[in-house]
Amino acid sequence: MRNVPALLRRELSAYFASVLGYVVLMFFLIVMGVTFAVVVNFLSSRGPTQMTAMVILFRMFWLPALVVIPAITMRLLAEEKRAGTLEMLMTAPVTDFEVVLAKWLGAVVLYALMWGLTVFYVLILKHFSGGTAVLDLGPIAAGYIGVLVIGQFLIALGLLSSSLTKNQVAAALMSFALIFLCVIVLNWLSFLFQGGVMGSICRAVSAFEHIEDFGRGIVDLRPLVLYGIGTAVALFITTRAVESRKWR
Amino acid sequence: MQPMIKVENLTKRYAGVTALNGLSFEVQRGEIVGFLGPNGAGKSTTMRILTGFIPASSGRVTVAGCDVFEESLEVRRHVGYMPENNPLYTDMRVYEYLKFRAKLKGLSRADRHERTDEVLAMCGLTDVRTRIIGQLSKGYRQRVGLADALLAEPDLLILDEPTIGLDPVQIRQVRQLIKDLGKQHTILLSTHILPEVEMTCDRVIIIHHGRILASDTPENLTKTLQAGGAIRVEVRGPVADVEAKLRAVEGVASVRTTPGADGFVSVEISPKTDADPREPIYRTCVANGWTLRELTRTRTTLEDIFVQITREEDEADEERRERRRSMLR
Repeated sequence: MRNVPALLRRELSAYFASVLGYVVLMFFLIVMGVTFAVVVNFLSSRGPTQMTAMVILFRMFWLPALVVIPAITMRLLAEEKRAGTLEMLMTAPVTDFEVVLAKWLGAVVLYALMWGLTVFYVLILKHFSGGTAVLDLGPIAAGYIGVLVIGQFLIALGLLSSSLTKNQVAAALMSFALIFLCVIVLNWLSFLFQGGVMGSICRAVSAFEHIEDFGRGIVDLRPLVLYGIGTAVALFITTRAVESRKWR
Repeated sequence: MQPMIKVENLTKRYAGVTALNGLSFEVQRGEIVGFLGPNGAGKSTTMRILTGFIPASSGRVTVAGCDVFEESLEVRRHVGYMPENNPLYTDMRVYEYLKFRAKLKGLSRADRHERTDEVLAMCGLTDVRTRIIGQLSKGYRQRVGLADALLAEPDLLILDEPTIGLDPVQIRQVRQLIKDLGKQHTILLSTHILPEVEMTCDRVIIIHHGRILASDTPENLTKTLQAGGAIRVEVRGPVADVEAKLRAVEGVASVRTTPGADGFVSVEISPKTDADPREPIYRTCVANGWTLRELTRTRTTLEDIFVQITREEDEADEERRERRRSMLR
């Protein structure tokens, strides 16, 4: 693990040495900014509701996830393979897993940074609520944890897609499909099988259910373990895929 | 002392294709060895195995006494490698990239600084150290690759086609750099450009279809084949007489004459093996009173050897295949 800090620094600087990092942040801020404005407008035009602006915003996590995560993960390994720089990297005294881990961490940091910018929304809410409503910071913090925990798993899926091909577009579409299956389709299934055993299984692993809990301030150990295991498996397969040059 | 590289019976098969077929060779410490072969001969594959990027199908490879498969990380610490086409992170600045690589190669913080500056100076990159690699010319990029290979002061430098795509001036600079480096490092470089090997290497390994065809110093290879090198003579004299008398000279195997328009006869003489009949030829000309305008031995270049050896190999292959075909019929 000695080389992870150096590799991570390189990954982060790569995002901001190209336009990619800035475009991703811009895209995210436009989408979330508009959503936030609409949500606040909607909530303030009606009477008291059970929802808070931040909970609605957290529940919107799938929208940037579907677009941003494929965009930031597609190049990670596919580009290194296509440009041949993987050969430079893998003939230095670093292990395959160190490289995979650093690439995943780099994307997670960017993703966290992206969501970190929405802290300003909380400040805006606090400022303009003018003391009429007390802003409960606990559930908001839990919501951020939820968004990060789900996001890091989806990033691992994106990295896995990137390790399977040299073609960045193919990698992006593959991770889009995987994220779509894991987030949207699972949610549909839980509606489809409502009531039955299948339904409760689907609900137990549905990201929408989890984010709802997190948004209400419930930091449950079960989703944490679920996504932790998911990430570990995805990173393991990714490492194997990088190593596959050795047994192909 | 153990050799720097020891390759025993190395075989590499990709799905359905045999890239390397029982390769064995050694490289001693301090040698500059040129790996010569046409495209697809197996040069890059061998280098990738030596650097631990891909494993062999069978055979044993040790670098500095470490097995490349069992102790891959240790081997990588001993090797500075510049892959084919010299892939670099084009979005980084030159010194940034070298610092990053130095860190990966495990140099301490203090060494990192010093070594980066050293290799920058060594490779003539000091002026472009703050430029973005993607904006550099190919020659400069090649030097960045070399600088990277040199960073950790490796015992062994493996350079895959270090001068490909450079202009003549740059090629000369890179060759000179390699020659200078050869004073302190063991170098294995691959190329399909022959003058390069003649100029820079102590020893040449010719490889074709994944097999070693020849391994010797460039001079020896030239000498062995020069024994059959032709002698060109131009004399003024009667054609039939010239042919008959030169054929009689000791050490001459065959003579072919072509009368020229200006009264001179050009003669192509093949000497017998190991014979150099140039002096008797001269004496024969003088004794007969012929004017001698030219007497040269055509120097066999490495290029001729290379073409000859690979062609013989291909013909032998073709023959085997033909025989197999006729047997099936």
